Amino acid sequence: MDNEKLIAEAKTVLLRGDIVGIIGYQKDSQGFRVSPLFVRDERDIEKLFFSPLCWLSLVNYLTLEKGRLLQKGNPGKKAKVALMVRGCDSKALNQIIIERGLSRDEVYVFGIPCNGVIDLKKIEKMFPDVQGSAQVSENNGFYHVRCNGKSHEVPKEELIADSCKHCVSPNPILYDVLLYTPIVVKQPDYRDIEEIDNMSIAEKWEFWREQFSMCVRCYACRNACPLCYCDDCILERLSPQWIYRSVNMSENLIFHLARSFHHAGRCAGCGECERVCPVNLPLMLLNRKLEKDSKELFHYTVGEKAEQKPLLATFNPQDPDDFIF
Amino acid sequence: MLKKTDPEIVAFLCNWCSYAGADLAGTSHFHYPPNVKVIRVMCTGRMNPLLTLSAFRHGADGVLISGCHPGECHYMEGNYLARRRIALFRKLLGFVGINPERLRMSWVSASEGNKFSRVIKEMTEKIKQLGPLGLEEE
Amino acid sequence: MAVVPSALVIGGGIAGIQAALDIADAGFKVYLVEREPSIGGHMIQLDKTFPTLDCSACILTPKMADLGNHPNIELFTYSEVVDVNGFVGNFEVTIKRKPRYIDENKCNACGLCEQYCSIEGADPFNVNLSKRKAIYMPFPQAVPACYVIDPERCRFLLTHDCTQCVEVCKKGLNAIDFKQTEKFETVKVGSIVVASGYDLFDPVLKPEYGYQLYDNVITGFEFERLSNASGPTTGDIVINGKKPKDVVFIQCVGSRDKTVGNEYCSRVCCMYTAKQAHLVREKTPDAHITVFYIDVRAFGKGFEEFYDRVKLEGVKYRRGNPSEVYRKGDRLVVKAEDTLSAELVEVEADLVVLATGMVPGKGTVEIANLLKLSRSPDRFLMEAHPKLRPVDTPSDGIFLAGCCQGPKDIPDTVAQASAAAAKALIPLSRGKVTTEVIISFVEESICRGCGFCVEACPYDAIMLKQIQQNGNSISVASVNEVLCKGCGACASVCFSGAMQQKSFTDGQLLSMIAALGEQYA
Repeated sequence: MDNEKLIAEAKTVLLRGDIVGIIGYQKDSQGFRVSPLFVRDERDIEKLFFSPLCWLSLVNYLTLEKGRLLQKGNPGKKAKVALMVRGCDSKALNQIIIERGLSRDEVYVFGIPCNGVIDLKKIEKMFPDVQGSAQVSENNGFYHVRCNGKSHEVPKEELIADSCKHCVSPNPILYDVLLYTPIVVKQPDYRDIEEIDNMSIAEKWEFWREQFSMCVRCYACRNACPLCYCDDCILERLSPQWIYRSVNMSENLIFHLARSFHHAGRCAGCGECERVCPVNLPLMLLNRKLEKDSKELFHYTVGEKAEQKPLLATFNPQDPDDFIF
Repeated sequence: MLKKTDPEIVAFLCNWCSYAGADLAGTSHFHYPPNVKVIRVMCTGRMNPLLTLSAFRHGADGVLISGCHPGECHYMEGNYLARRRIALFRKLLGFVGINPERLRMSWVSASEGNKFSRVIKEMTEKIKQLGPLGLEEE
Repeated sequence: MAVVPSALVIGGGIAGIQAALDIADAGFKVYLVEREPSIGGHMIQLDKTFPTLDCSACILTPKMADLGNHPNIELFTYSEVVDVNGFVGNFEVTIKRKPRYIDENKCNACGLCEQYCSIEGADPFNVNLSKRKAIYMPFPQAVPACYVIDPERCRFLLTHDCTQCVEVCKKGLNAIDFKQTEKFETVKVGSIVVASGYDLFDPVLKPEYGYQLYDNVITGFEFERLSNASGPTTGDIVINGKKPKDVVFIQCVGSRDKTVGNEYCSRVCCMYTAKQAHLVREKTPDAHITVFYIDVRAFGKGFEEFYDRVKLEGVKYRRGNPSEVYRKGDRLVVKAEDTLSAELVEVEADLVVLATGMVPGKGTVEIANLLKLSRSPDRFLMEAHPKLRPVDTPSDGIFLAGCCQGPKDIPDTVAQASAAAAKALIPLSRGKVTTEVIISFVEESICRGCGFCVEACPYDAIMLKQIQQNGNSISVASVNEVLCKGCGACASVCFSGAMQQKSFTDGQLLSMIAALGEQYA
């Protein structure tokens, strides 16, 4: 993916005058790591880049505080920001805009059709001890990895992030400029969800007991999720107290079920929750289960339309009722 | 701490239909098992599914949400909203290994005292079969 | 907020008229909006009414005159309600006045213009059985007594090549004004009574009866106009120039009939058929009259006695729903099974009258959308409770009167109209409205302004408003305390927990749940 168009657009954007900065990706000088970059003037533009290493959602930076993105020295006046946005990020951004967390005119979107990004943990395991910087590009189902002076061809499935394996929205659904050519969309694949669904109740409980017993309730997933931007998260409050402080099976269960249920009909599938989890919980399974059921039971897909009514604030007289006496 | 020997069912009943129906069951002497504990809400539309999770966590082995028949909700739409949310949430519960049969809904109108007692009997039977959930001990 | 001391009545039939008079007599201002150029509804078109055989127009016109002269009533005829905003005690209503092209203040109903107009067309007042001019008064006793020009027929409006009426009226009052346009007016009211009335079932949907195929098959309503002394035949029952010798009435046309989607009973047809049978007997003493019925519902005061009388007059009642009406020469044959004598009968007739049932009036769907009213499964407007609140709607401050709520006869309509007026007067006379106490409220510091609660609310009681917080302008939810009914649907959809319902907050519910589990903790 060449970065020429990205840099050219970034330059044009900064010259506009109404945009205070660009939030984008930059390559770390060491290894495979990628960091966010906050560009306020021309000197930093050249650092902007995009590659399959960009396993990070930048949308979260927009919702860090309620009065966000104020212009420096101009309190109360909202600022406009440009942002590099992948397919999943655009769904999250769209949802935030629908929920009035941001208004559309506050963001200038660099749309990036994305074919999947690499799980950092996987590539660092495959190539430990990298000296200096490393680059990765993608070609025809393979990742071309250049590090330590050598080149390697690795099949995508071995390195791609788990949440990217099931991506059905590689192309941004909203953007001001599209930086690369759109990608063919895959059909949705819920076989991994069905596999779990087909297990017995006892087997499922054992599976999740094993997972949740590792959870340390660090709240990293909540912090990283672009759609978790409530000022006063109910899972933190003492009044009313939805969840106790203890880190055990029942409270962890409530934490994760509550968080994923709050994203029913909203989750963009960006996988940030899985990325930041220190104990590698398969959190996207819960979100995708809800996504599958929303689609099958209620014909509801996030980001299908630019404006959509909330899933749980609407109903259809024909909704399923086989569980009702 | 008491060790549970009998299943406990927490029932959220809507004020206008199901709560009145349960009341009628009482005054008409329709017997039903004493395993059910009732919390009154104005409308099933008030039922955030996470409240049922809280009930399970506090010892409920089964949760019932009962409201007005579709089209008869005192507040017009609350029961439709509840139906959608509970349908979705049950599936999530099943996915993590909590039997979705533990969370049920029913439509009981104010004149259906008999139906209420039948529903409680049936649900209690089912929960007895499934056994205790045991979340409060985790 | 103080209640606006006035009411809106939508519909100028007998229900609307009665409601308007009652509210106005109580001392409050009433705006009555009627779609047609005159009030009177369908009742003014009827002949004699059951069971007393009062002439319909004779009992209605004094009320119409009262209404026209009442100091508290402002009449908007040839007008429609196009927008309604607000809530009980403070509705804002926009009314569209259609142009009559005649100045109501100048016209004295002399009728000269009508004599000189050369354009004629079918007269819907007489169910298209006669003609009227392009400039017309709907009927002689119209209120207001003013002419109106039909924009779909008038040559001046269509092709600009006729000014006959203008010339003739110039000599006197110069009341014709082709420069008139649609006008919109906004009024504020405290309560609204909906009296939008009914229409009649169109029997072309029952092709087996041959309506419009044979011109001696007519509807009950067409019969009313034939029988009416001011109708197209000045009161004689004549079909094709002849008085009928054999008349057959068929009941339940379009009612109690799943095949046309009307399962309900229209309540008035048994009685109006008995009355019409009686009128035939009166006007043609030696006619053979047969009524085919499924049941005879003569439930009201004086109804059973009237039905007995009609039977004694030699009207033959045969139990059976005819399957077919077919032609035999220039006569008709009605084929039915008489279930009481268990035989197939074929009755010859010169005239077949179809007792068509009631269906919701044309404007019902628009009114329901404007006022956000629900409709019952029978498609009439839905009352708040079928037994205990038959004139209320689930929306505070909006009431129902007459056939818009369901088929009924004149005595029941008048009773319901007065009931609706009484209910409508409650907020007006108290000057304030009582609101629900277990309503929802918003913790503005937590609210994200996402608007999910706005979507979930069945009463449109929540909206987003802009507030200043920490130097920023943000949007938060805001609950209208008058509209909120306390269901809690908003509270359950709120992620951040900002929206709570008084007495049923999350904290309270969680405490109750925890208390139930205390013994196991």
